[in-house]
Amino acid sequence: MSFELINSKLLVGFGTTCLLFLLTLVLSLPLGLLIMFGLKCPFKPIKWLCNVFVWAIRGTPLMLQLFVVFYVPSMLFGLRIFSFTSTTVFDGRFIAALITFVINYACYFSVIFRGGVDNISRGQFEAGKVLGMTKSQIFFKVILLQVIKTVIPPVSNEVITLVKDTSLARVISVAEIFFINETEILTKAIVWPLFYIGVFFLLFVGLLTVLFNYIEKKLSYFKA
Amino acid sequence: MKKLLTVLLASLLCVGAAIGLTGCKAKSDYDKIKEKGYFVCGITLFNPMNYFNDEDELVGFDTEFANAVAEQLGLKAKFQIISWSAKYLELNSGAIDCIWNGFTYGNESDGVSRTEYVDFSYKYLLNGQCVVTSTANLSVLNSAAAFAGKKGMAEGGSAGEELAQSLSSVYTATTSQANALLELKSGTVDFIVIDATMANALVGQGDYNTLSINPAIETEIEEYAIGFRKGSDFTAKVNEAITTLSANGKLAEIAAEYDLSSALIENIGAK
Repeated sequence: MSFELINSKLLVGFGTTCLLFLLTLVLSLPLGLLIMFGLKCPFKPIKWLCNVFVWAIRGTPLMLQLFVVFYVPSMLFGLRIFSFTSTTVFDGRFIAALITFVINYACYFSVIFRGGVDNISRGQFEAGKVLGMTKSQIFFKVILLQVIKTVIPPVSNEVITLVKDTSLARVISVAEIFFINETEILTKAIVWPLFYIGVFFLLFVGLLTVLFNYIEKKLSYFKA
Repeated sequence: MKKLLTVLLASLLCVGAAIGLTGCKAKSDYDKIKEKGYFVCGITLFNPMNYFNDEDELVGFDTEFANAVAEQLGLKAKFQIISWSAKYLELNSGAIDCIWNGFTYGNESDGVSRTEYVDFSYKYLLNGQCVVTSTANLSVLNSAAAFAGKKGMAEGGSAGEELAQSLSSVYTATTSQANALLELKSGTVDFIVIDATMANALVGQGDYNTLSINPAIETEIEEYAIGFRKGSDFTAKVNEAITTLSANGKLAEIAAEYDLSSALIENIGAK
């Protein structure tokens, strides 16, 4: 196999990896916020339900969740929702992996967010109330940006883990970079792409680190 | 917030109901495949059945065979690389429509017949299991007894697993036959058991020129067939197409292209 061929195969795989990463990030952050509201809900049944959900998702391996999402709907309920193929990367396997990743990461994010909100002193909520602001005004105009600042470091940890966790999608045959390498390149007894893949990830995570440092700096005028 | 939640839940319910209703119509397996316009073959990459050539096209005997059958049925064949040990799960969940990848008509390594899991098509190609070792080890591993305690490997869920386990108690399963070859070349295992069709095509040449087929272990002749969902009416349709392709010489043509003429079964399905 020529360098060009291997290179193009790996780039296609890395494209899938990046897409899975970006979509997961974009969708799991708002979902995490939603679950965070559930965790802090004064209505006990919802709070209890959300806690059990977060416990179940954080307490089981991501790999198991991938299998469950992809195989269980059709095996137990006869719903072949993920059996479709596509000429783009958005086939059933990719969507199943995406859904699993979004739910899994949203749960981790929700707990990080809750910690961020709990850190804001009660005085700020009370001050908002005194000024006649509504609950949502207080949250979105006063609290949220401060929460974002305090949760950036733990969120960046999760985001970097997510970059590397995408390779788990290979267990349901999503054609991400490791799957392509293992099925099409490694089996031809070529090992140097392993280092090449390592460089891909290092660069990608390096870029994210720089980005997060920049965001942190930008938000540093809040003294919590 | 509450309104948003209500809307979200309501739309979820609607989607759920819609899926539930469409799922109720009783359609046969072949109807569903015809509706899609294609069928998906679950494969692993393995020479000479399904593999990428130097131009990066998916070729191989089974690839062209599936395409020829698809043409007969007015459908398209698609190929999905799967983990071989998950093949029945993939098949029954509808993620693939057939197991078409040098699939041996026989038993799983636990002795359970594969007919318990799938409906087979007509058998179309002869195959055997092959023990491969490094050429340097040929003189040492010269009898079945010499394999005891050696590190063996085969593809998880493959026909070769049983033989590998019977030769040595030190056994590891891997995800594909091609991976087993790689492990043997890199020296992490002492012997592997793979399909004879693959061993004949790869071992002793190119990347694998330091390996040899070990003649010390004699194995039985097996046959390849295609696996379908139990009770599927797709099986009969494919069998019809195979009968036609066998009679009109198309199958012999494909076999010749991949050096498999001597292994091809003749007059498949003929009364």
